[in-house]
Parts: sequence; C-alpha cells; structure tokens
Amino acid sequence: MRLSLLTAAALVIATAAGAQTPVTARPAGATLIKNATVLTVTKGKLENTDVLLQNGKIAQVGKNLSAPAGAQVIDATGKYLMPGIVDPHSHTMVDAINEGSLSVTSMVRIRDVLNPTDINIYRQLAGGVTTINILHGSANTIGGQNALVKLKYGRDVDAMLFPGAMPGIKFALGENVTQKNGQTAAQATGRPLRYPSTRMGQEEVLRDAFMRARDYKASWDDYNAKVAKGDKTVVAPDRDLELEPLVEVLEGKRFVHAHSYRGDEMLMLLNVAKEFGFTVKTLQHGLEGYKIASEIAQAGTGLSTFADEWSYKVEAYDAIPYNTAILLHHGVVATVNSDSDERARRLNIDAAKMMRYGGLTEEEALKTITYNGAVQMGVEKRVGSIEVGKDADVVIWSGDPLSVYSSAETTFIDGEIFFDIKRDQAMRDQMAKERASLEAADRRRVTPVVP
Amino acid sequence: MQIRRFLTGAMLAFAAGVVAPPLLGAQIGVQRERNVPNVYAITNARIVPVSGPAIERGTVVIRNGVIAAVGASAQAPADARIIDGTGLTVYPGLIDANSSLGYPAAAATQAGAPAGRGGRGAPAQQGAPAGAPNSLRPIGLQPEIAAIDLVHPDADAFSGPHSAGITTALTVPSSGIFKGLSAVITLGGASTQAMIIKAPVAEHIGFTPLRSGGYPNSLLGVFSALRQTLLDAQHYGAEQAAYAKNPRGARRPEIDPSLEALQPVLARQIPVVMEASQAREIERALDLAKEFNLRVVIAGGEEADQVAARLKAENVPVLISLNFPRRPTASADADPEPLRVLRARVEAPKLASKLTAAGVRFAFEDGGLTTWSDFLANAGRTVENGLTSEQAVRALTAAPAEILGVSDRLGTIETGKIANLTVTRGDLFAGRVAHVFVDGNPVEIRAQAAGSTAGAMANGTWTVTVTMDEGDKPVTMALEQFGDQLRGTIQGALGNSQISNGSIGADGAFRFTASVTMGGSTEEAAFTGTIAGNVIRGTVGVVGHPQGTFAGQRPDAAGQGAGRRGRPPVQR
Repeated sequence: MRLSLLTAAALVIATAAGAQTPVTARPAGATLIKNATVLTVTKGKLENTDVLLQNGKIAQVGKNLSAPAGAQVIDATGKYLMPGIVDPHSHTMVDAINEGSLSVTSMVRIRDVLNPTDINIYRQLAGGVTTINILHGSANTIGGQNALVKLKYGRDVDAMLFPGAMPGIKFALGENVTQKNGQTAAQATGRPLRYPSTRMGQEEVLRDAFMRARDYKASWDDYNAKVAKGDKTVVAPDRDLELEPLVEVLEGKRFVHAHSYRGDEMLMLLNVAKEFGFTVKTLQHGLEGYKIASEIAQAGTGLSTFADEWSYKVEAYDAIPYNTAILLHHGVVATVNSDSDERARRLNIDAAKMMRYGGLTEEEALKTITYNGAVQMGVEKRVGSIEVGKDADVVIWSGDPLSVYSSAETTFIDGEIFFDIKRDQAMRDQMAKERASLEAADRRRVTPVVP
Repeated sequence: MQIRRFLTGAMLAFAAGVVAPPLLGAQIGVQRERNVPNVYAITNARIVPVSGPAIERGTVVIRNGVIAAVGASAQAPADARIIDGTGLTVYPGLIDANSSLGYPAAAATQAGAPAGRGGRGAPAQQGAPAGAPNSLRPIGLQPEIAAIDLVHPDADAFSGPHSAGITTALTVPSSGIFKGLSAVITLGGASTQAMIIKAPVAEHIGFTPLRSGGYPNSLLGVFSALRQTLLDAQHYGAEQAAYAKNPRGARRPEIDPSLEALQPVLARQIPVVMEASQAREIERALDLAKEFNLRVVIAGGEEADQVAARLKAENVPVLISLNFPRRPTASADADPEPLRVLRARVEAPKLASKLTAAGVRFAFEDGGLTTWSDFLANAGRTVENGLTSEQAVRALTAAPAEILGVSDRLGTIETGKIANLTVTRGDLFAGRVAHVFVDGNPVEIRAQAAGSTAGAMANGTWTVTVTMDEGDKPVTMALEQFGDQLRGTIQGALGNSQISNGSIGADGAFRFTASVTMGGSTEEAAFTGTIAGNVIRGTVGVVGHPQGTFAGQRPDAAGQGAGRRGRPPVQR
C-alpha cells in the first residue's frame, strides 16, 4: 500500500488523541521476526533474515531460525527491520522545560517533571523512536539535568528511565541565553535582564560555576579527610544541589550536552572544558560545526544537529545541510535530532536527507538516528544497532525506512510491543466507544440539589 | 418555628449591641458565652453519632461547649434550651479537611498574597500577609508562616461554610511552595485564639511556582528548591545540635526561622500535606516524602485511584477535593475535549469508592471550591457513585479528625467531645442544613451571596489571539482555577496541550506554561497576564523569540464559579 507520510502522520495524530491504555501485553514473551530485510546499522544489510527477540534482548540473528516454544512469530516478508530510533534532543513528556530564572540551574532535574502519559510518546513510537534524550531548555548558561528515557508508553516513570545510563546536564550558549531577541520587550516591561547578556558573560558564568564547584569539592574532601582522621566533632558541609552535578562533570561522571550554534562559542566551551579537565559529550544544534570539525573531533566531542533547519535566527544563518556529512568525515560522532514533538515522528526522513546532502551511505545515514545517538548517550552497548545481546528495541517498517512511502508498523522495546499499527486501528474503535459512553454519562449527571 | 424564633431573638440581641464586640471580626455570628444560655438539648431527633449506629429518636445535650449526653434515653436537663428535633438529623460537625478559611480580606491586596484555596462567601476574604517576619526566604518558600498567627476572620467569613454544615476546618495560611503550618479551627468563636483547636497540624507543600518570575518559576525549580530547603534544614538541625552541645569555641550558627520550622517535619512529629491531583503529581509527592522520610498526606488526589496500591502500601491518607472538575462552556467550533479531560470529569465522583475498595484512608476537603452548596452536593455524588452514605459521612467527620490528629475531641457525637454539630432537615446529602453548633453555640445559617465567583475568576473557555514574531495565532484556552492553581488546556494554532506550572493570585495575575509548536519546533511558552472580568491579556515568552502578547475574552461567562449550579452549560 502506498501511504503517504503525511496521511500516516495525520492518522497517528487522530488516533493517539486520547490513547492512554497500554498497548502491550506483558511480560515479553519470545518473538521471532521472519524473513525481514534487516538493517543492522553496524553489520550491514541482511536480506531474508530472521531475528529472535527473547528475554528483552536480541537473542539470534540469522537465516531459518526456529521459534522457541510459545514464541510469537511475525512474518516480515517484504518488510524491513531496523533498530529503534534514538533521538538525542527531545523535550517530550515533561511538565516544564526551562527553569530560566537563574543563569545556573544545575540543581533542577528533568526526572522530577516527567509526564509518562504524554500522548507524544505514543506518536513517536509510531515513528519508530524508542529512546529519547530529554533535555532542559536553552534559557540559561547552565541548565538542568537531562533524562534518557525508553518510550515505554503506559508504564510509570521508573520503568521508562534508561537503566544504568550516565546522567547528563544541559548547557546553553548564544542568543537564547543573552536574550537578545527578547531584550526590547523585556526592557519595555521594566523587567531587569538576567546576567549575562553577552557571550563574554556566558564564558564567565561557566568558569565561575566550575570554580565554585572545585571549592565545594574541596570542602567535602577536607571534611572526609577529617572524618578519616577520627574527628568526631566536625559537621558535614551543607549539601549544595547546584554544585554537586558540576562536581560530577569535573569527575567525568556526568555528560555535558551543550546547546550552541556558532563556531566561536563552541570553541570557547571546548577551551573552558579543557581548562577544567572534562570533555563535552555533545554539542547540540551546532549548525556551524562544519567550520571547526577538526577541533570538535580532536576534543572527542559529538555533535547533534538538524537535517535541514536554519535561518530562524541570526546565529542560525550560516548553516549548511552538509554539516552532518562533513562532521562525520572528520571523525566526529554526529547525529540528527528532532528538538520537536512533531519532527521526532519522522526522523527517518531526516536521516534520508543526509544521503542527499553529503552523499552518506544508507548505513551512515541510519547511524545518524540510531547508533551514533547511542554513542552520544553512552549506551551504544545496549541499543542503536541490531546485534545479538543488545536490547530488543527494534522496529518493523512496511518498506525501506529511508523512503517517504514507508511507515513503522510495529515498535518493540525490550522485546515488548509498544506500538502496532493494527492494534492502533482497534484502539480507535475502543476510544470512540469510550468517548460516547463518557459523554452520555457526563450529560446524564444529576444536577445537585440547591437548598 | 422554635429554632428560628430562638435564633432571631439571639441575632437581634447581637445586633442591638447587647454584646459589645471588642473584636468584631472574630464574632462570626456566635454568641458570647457569658451572655447567652450555654445549655442546649436537641430532642426527638435522629442522631448519627458516627462512633456507633444511628439513633432513630434521641436527644443530644450540650453544656458549656461540650457534648454532655447523647442517646435514645438521654434527658433534656431543666436549664437547657430545648430544640425540637422532629424531622431533623444530628451529625457530628462537618470538618473541611483542607481550606484557607479565616484570613482577613485586607491581606489579599498585598503583594504576593495568594488567591487562597477557594473564594469564600465574601470575595476578598482570602489571602495572607506579605510574608513571615524576619524570614530569610521569599514568599512562597516560607515554611514558618503559621495559621495560628494569621487567622483573623472577617465578620462574614464563615457564613458560606456554615451553610454547607461545616463547623471545623484545617486552615492553611499561604500559597506557593511551602504554604506554611496549618491549624484546625472551629468556624467561629469569641476570639481568634478561642477558635484554635490544634496548631501546628501539618506543614503544607503546594508545588506552585512563584509568579514573580524569580527562582523557582517552574516545576523543575520547585522540586530542586524543596529538596535544597529540606537538605538545608537537615544540615541546620545538625549544626544547631552540635553548637548546643558544645558552644564554646565554635561560631554561633545563624538562626533561620524557615529551617527551624522544618525540624518537626523532618522529625516526623507533624505530617506534610502535599497538594497533588494527577497520578504523576502524587507519585512525585510520594517520592519526595520518601527521599526525606516525611509523613505525608495527599491533598486533592483526583487520580489517586491510579496510585492506590502505593498509597495503601505506604499508609498515606488522601484528602479528596470536593471541587470536582466542571464542564467548560465551549464554542460551537471548538475541538472536542481531550478524552482525558472528559474521563477525569466523569470519574471524579467515583474516586472515594475506589479508594475505599483499595483500602486507602481518605477525608473530604473543599479543594478551593467557590460555591458552598457544591460541598455537600458533590459529597452526595460520591454516594451516587458507589460510596455508602455512612462512609461519606465518615469522610466529613471521624475520618478527617483521625487524619488531622484531633479524634480525641472531634469527629463523633460522644459524651465529652467538643459540641460541634451539624443538624440537617432530612439526609445530610440533601444539603438542607438547618442548624450548626460551633463550640456549643448555635450559629445562624445564611445563604451564600449568589453569583460569587471569587477564587474562580479564571474558570471558563477563553478565545484568545496570541501575537508572536510568527504573526497572530488564534487559540482557545479552557481554564479552571483550584485555589491558587490554574489548570486547563490550550488548543488551536499553537498546537494542543495541557497547561503546566499554572498559578493565579487574588488580583487576577496569573502565569502558566504550555508546550507550543512554533516554526516546526516544540517550544515552552510562558504566559504571564491578568484576568479582569471577561478580559484576559498579557505577554508570552518563548526562549529565542521576541516577547509576544496575547489578548482575548470569555464569550460566555456561564462557565465560571457557579457553573455547576442550575442548568449545566450546553456543550457544543
């Protein structure tokens, strides 16, 4: 069936408008996917291949696999199987994105405001996405702590957090932080502008924060040394939730994901990081990354960008769609991200654009939305490709996922189905019935007796 | 009729200045003990003592503010005023388990004053003073604000609650994040001090970001501010203890009234009442309580049934809001309501019976409702939806007394307990309150002023134009106010989403955020504005965009405040 992408997206929106009931039956039994074109992403394209999902993992990949007793068997003849998409930059499923009141809000945690019932989770599953990196907004230089999440729609927050993932934090540079775009209006209303209002100030905020973090660490080291010496009267320093995560950054225990656009500001951050002895894990957006590709590669930093989204503000004017390809050719781990509930549903198309711009191979293009994202989040041993032993986060597509005519049909996470296009149809009927009965009950309601 | 005659006489005496009130605000229609008889007997009444089976025909004797006798064979003493209770039912005085009753109106105009949870009979009687004296922390983050210092009701403060049969309330002094230390008060008394039954009862946490725009202005910051304050309080306790033990040679630690106030909370001597309605909000509240080993009570609890197993396992009671969601007015071309919103409205009256089935303890609270007749009407709807009448009465009497730690003196009709009584014509849930006794004194019942929308000024469906750098965007905002919280949806040209981080003050100033779609990206838009009558306007901030504006109106004002009274508004 030739289903245009737009139609597919529209259907998903319509359906998902109220879907709340979990789609899945658990626990995950074994599933054998037969005769698919398997896009492993790391080990080539395997035609007419079977994949066995068992105990939440990819158990076997090969030809003519036999199904274990009780396993569900799916005939995927003519269909494609690819790893679940990893979106390195998302603001889905949160009740708040920015705590922009201060220049440094490292104490705030996306984990605290996750909304596991957000309908956009379901919509993204329908676009083949299984893991998203939920970041704080870009209102301030040092933003909040991010959360890496598997889109297990219908489960609670704890079940959705990516187990064992390294924590991270959002930084932001450039115009969003200086508030240049909002300055006139802010001045008109008499509100004071928050420091800093220049890129110079941003560098100072970073350096100041990490110097305070060093001092804070020293106060604890001092305390621990006294305790070790047997001092029983010493009172522990007050815990500082702002500085604790920055100490973790200094100790290499927390990733930095930095919103940035211009080459000069990215270099500034890489220099500050070098000065304080940590590595920036990813530059987010990084539209001018191609200008400093070697420097980024040398710093061991990744970059996550848009496929072809630019010129929406001054710092985004110098973008080119070849950014991703140039970065990859310089050895930078580069990815394409959504930064959008809507774009997240069609990241496969954004990956396909990377073949048009810069001539990436099919596998390189797919990597920008799967394996490379897993590397950027430090979970490449768990997800991002179809390999035996990895998490069973896989998606059956109706055709080649790099075609606009294909759509995701079944999305597995840890071997469980969280989206299935046929179940989706059935749920639409269920929901229509529920709505009808609720509306009837709502109208039937007895009007309270007023004395 | 005997009761009415008696009351009229009493009120005339009051009005004629027989009782010269030194503190008019605290009189609240209750006669002063020394001037009126303080012995009453309600005879021939049906009595629902809650502590035991109903007595079909019996007498309750009140002496000096205390229940002196109760039963089928109890005799009216010779010195008692006799009230013929034929056709009447006597219940323990109803308890509103969470309210903002009893604060002076003047405070509402001061900076930072909350909308209060619920506009009361008089529009402006909510609010609290500008803040705690000598506090080191901003308004909204002052756990030391105490009801006992601030309760000072206006003359008409309790007429609404009295008309709903409410005699006793837990009252919370402030709004914001740390809302302060509550007190159980009787709704009326010779003086403010005489009204206090127990204080402090609990610390209250509201999770509402600060409207000032300062930190924290989002739910993200609310949690980190709570966490840091509690950590600071732990550290403060340790520092103070170390200094007390060995003051010589050590620098004296600074006194911080906020951290001082949290010591009994950390020591589990008093519970923390956390406002949480949706399942995820309840989970977050429970997580926070667990992190700091706090005794927690959930207030609001709209989706508590979805967390029932955990609430039961952790023995957490729920104060169920009787401010059920209202059906919004909708214009003909509006999108259909999200299924979740519809579901929440239909399911609200079923919550109490679901929690009963799950073994979760609960009591009823007003939830910031603005029309006091809704209080009993909505309690009645829980009975229509699976709760027994006995359970519903319990949730208004003995259950809140137990949860609030005053069951030794309130909550049932038993000899020796405080004589707070609610007397109705027929069944309680028919809502015909005939008579209320507060501390053994009869109180005149007056109907609530009609059309009061205080505390619900935002309710309704607003047609709004948002003007940003991308041009004019028509949207529909369906807003609902619960005390100082603002909830609802925004639909239209910016996409469809629930609003978050919403709060509103008594002056109509509000702030909320919503996820919007702009230029293909998902952005968080912060709406800051004011509501005046049927006009809404303000500014919109989106990171990376020039500040925008929005303005609109409420085409049909029928949805506000009294929306559930009378005929429900027609939908579509």
